[in-house]
Amino acid sequence: MRLSDIMSRMDLTIWPVAALVIFLGIFILIAMRTMKRPGDELASEATLPLQDDTGPIGEPGRN
Amino acid sequence: MSEAHAVANQPSGADGAVPAAMDRFTYDDAIVRKFAAATIIWAFVGMLVGLIVAVQMALPPALTWEIGGIRPLAWLSFLTNVEFLTFGRLRPLHTNAVIFAFAGNAVFAAIYYSTQRLCKTRMFSDTLSKLHFWGWQAIIVSAALTLPLGITQGKEYAELEWPIDLAVAVVWVGFFAVNFFGTLARRRERHLYVALWFYIASIVTVTILHVFNNLMIPAGLFKSYSMYAGVQDAFMQWWYGHNAVAFFLTTPFLGMMYYFLPKAADRPVFSYRLSIIHFWSLVFIYIWAGPHHLHYTALPSWASTLGMLFSLMLWMPSWGGMINGLLTLRGAWHKVAADPVLKFFVVAITFYGMSTFEGPMLSIKSVNALSHYTDWTIAHVHAGALGWNGFMAFGMLYWLAPRLFQTQLWSRKLAGTHFWIGTVGILLYVIPIYAAGLTQGLMWRAFDESGLLKYPDFVETVTALLPMYWLRVLGGTLYLAGVVLCMVNMFMTWRARPATYTETVHEAPRLAPTYTDEPDPATELYANAEFGKNLDVWVKGFWHRVWERKPLKFTLLVILSVSIASLFEIIPTFVIGSNVPTIASVQPYTPLELAGRDIYIAEGCYNCHSQMIRPIYAETKRYGEYSKPGEFVYDHPFQWGSKRTGPDLQREGGKQSDNWHVLHFNDPRQVNDRSVMPAYPHLLSQQIDFDGLTPRVRVMSMLGVPYGQAILDGKAPELARAQAKAIADNIIAQGGQKGLDDKKVVALIAYMQRLGTDISKPAPAAAPAGGVAKAAEKH
Repeated sequence: MRLSDIMSRMDLTIWPVAALVIFLGIFILIAMRTMKRPGDELASEATLPLQDDTGPIGEPGRN
Repeated sequence: MSEAHAVANQPSGADGAVPAAMDRFTYDDAIVRKFAAATIIWAFVGMLVGLIVAVQMALPPALTWEIGGIRPLAWLSFLTNVEFLTFGRLRPLHTNAVIFAFAGNAVFAAIYYSTQRLCKTRMFSDTLSKLHFWGWQAIIVSAALTLPLGITQGKEYAELEWPIDLAVAVVWVGFFAVNFFGTLARRRERHLYVALWFYIASIVTVTILHVFNNLMIPAGLFKSYSMYAGVQDAFMQWWYGHNAVAFFLTTPFLGMMYYFLPKAADRPVFSYRLSIIHFWSLVFIYIWAGPHHLHYTALPSWASTLGMLFSLMLWMPSWGGMINGLLTLRGAWHKVAADPVLKFFVVAITFYGMSTFEGPMLSIKSVNALSHYTDWTIAHVHAGALGWNGFMAFGMLYWLAPRLFQTQLWSRKLAGTHFWIGTVGILLYVIPIYAAGLTQGLMWRAFDESGLLKYPDFVETVTALLPMYWLRVLGGTLYLAGVVLCMVNMFMTWRARPATYTETVHEAPRLAPTYTDEPDPATELYANAEFGKNLDVWVKGFWHRVWERKPLKFTLLVILSVSIASLFEIIPTFVIGSNVPTIASVQPYTPLELAGRDIYIAEGCYNCHSQMIRPIYAETKRYGEYSKPGEFVYDHPFQWGSKRTGPDLQREGGKQSDNWHVLHFNDPRQVNDRSVMPAYPHLLSQQIDFDGLTPRVRVMSMLGVPYGQAILDGKAPELARAQAKAIADNIIAQGGQKGLDDKKVVALIAYMQRLGTDISKPAPAAAPAGGVAKAAEKH
């Protein structure tokens, strides 16, 4: 008996549905938790790109 | 490699945990300059080829246009009959050049620039950076040489043959990923900014996609066969194809957006929380969406429904990301009017929103039934590619140019002109092509009052689109003209660079080696059991904040997430037998048919012809019985296609005479004066490589195709020659050309005449003892 025969006889149709629920559920949990995070907790992270030194940039170019 | 030097004072670490040494370091902007230059050069090349293929689609009827007795476009006839320049060979060159060369180099420029700054460290290894750059350019050049030569796997966006695929893996993982993760390991900023998360997801997921979609067995230096066949190959291909869009054209560009937009606007991203949700939505949800490319095909319906549902779920987070981008400009909209960089970014993000609205909409089965195989998909893709990817890249280049070349941008006015010409170009491209897609879809399904197809001749549904195709040429020309302006601006800015670049030395405290996480927040529960209190702490989600500082754990979790999601879809498709019911009458291709199929793949016929009749009345009426999963079990690789510029070929076998095919391949206008198909006269002069069939048949046999005695020395060529002679004799009997016994056209005809015919044959009483050898003798 081949693997595909064994798998075919197992009723796996619920697997994709279960996976959908699990993945969606975890995502919703993370999303809910993220939205509940206090804004100041992430304030320093949000400004990280603005903290680096971009070096000399000169004046605005010619028009 | 340039390493930092500890300086005298010993302040506290970046996170304030333990006193750490202060380091001095410089950034490697030379590598960013290289990638930025490559970006604009390949943009020009890729889009020029795009313009050429756009012309090719409308050109054949225009070759005979006459103005005052002169045919002004006749000189372009080489675009319709030169072997190396046919649409089927150039279209993959266009897509590969734009995706992997233009967008790829833009992504690398963004990553190399921003990662160093977000991590406050130089790249891990300058040598790896250079190997990455030159290795990637060598891969692009290899693609540009092999694709016009017809060296291809025949899988969309994964056309490159196995030696180049191996090089991609080495460059991507061995040079790029090692360099990137090494940089993360040496960072001097504890927290990983969200852009880095997007880069991490891109790097690991593209690796997984590339490796598993390209599992093949070589049958020569430039030929291989996919390990998957038919339904499974289609599934893997679109799992790859869709996620290539997700993790090559979306996540790294979102990383670009989350870094360069705040820089250009000089304000932090509107909502960092929303960016976190945006990231996880792509990791958890996007990875599932691939099967929506295969609605109503022979793919099991549960898989395509799953793809549709996950696609629909992407609507909200994608729009959340778009809104997050646009609202980052709150209070700074006055800058948009004056700054070409912000103009590019705003339009790019707007196109991101449009594309991510349209994508889920097109994944709805009933919408997809109309849109699939039409130009609607092409318009959708180009709204994303030209609007989102193109404008993000150009915006970034204009922002980077003065910083990289340490001088002013040569002309802001020219950049502004590029913006407007590009925007008009996009609109002139996509609006007519949306119209073309709708027109085409509606014409295919139109019936007259007597219940017959209103447009039974497929070519009618193509010629109706030609005015729109010419408008696309105009739009594409404008967009390309914008790219030329950008090239000029970049070149002139580079020319004004200082004699020696200033290398700014930066200082940052080294990360303390003894870092400990902040303590978990205290529970507010007091009358509960310990379990309840622990749960309350867990629900507060502080663990996520901890992950955000641990790149290794974060990367492993991303890999785990995309792998589990993929396996949940892939395993049932592969191992449940009922997903691909076998059909007893379906037999392997004969060696000559296999040779013909390889020619079909090499010529890129799948770029215009599908081999998949959907169970839709208008399709079965036009093409015949709908396609069954069991019909493709010997198709390594599958050739279902994704666009019909020509008709479906799944039931082509027996519809036309052999000689009709000869005339058609030699010059399609001989049998259909309105055809836009290229001519393939070289097929009538080039010889079949009979001796090369043995290794090909043997590889197929290794893949499980029952070739029986055909794998023996000399047997496959012998069988192929016999079948070729029979077809050549038939062509002569039909009044056709003599001397085609060993010509490629005969092999291709053998394949065409076989297509879709097995299903109507009686099932063999028992498998022939000699496998395909017996079957070929009977043919």
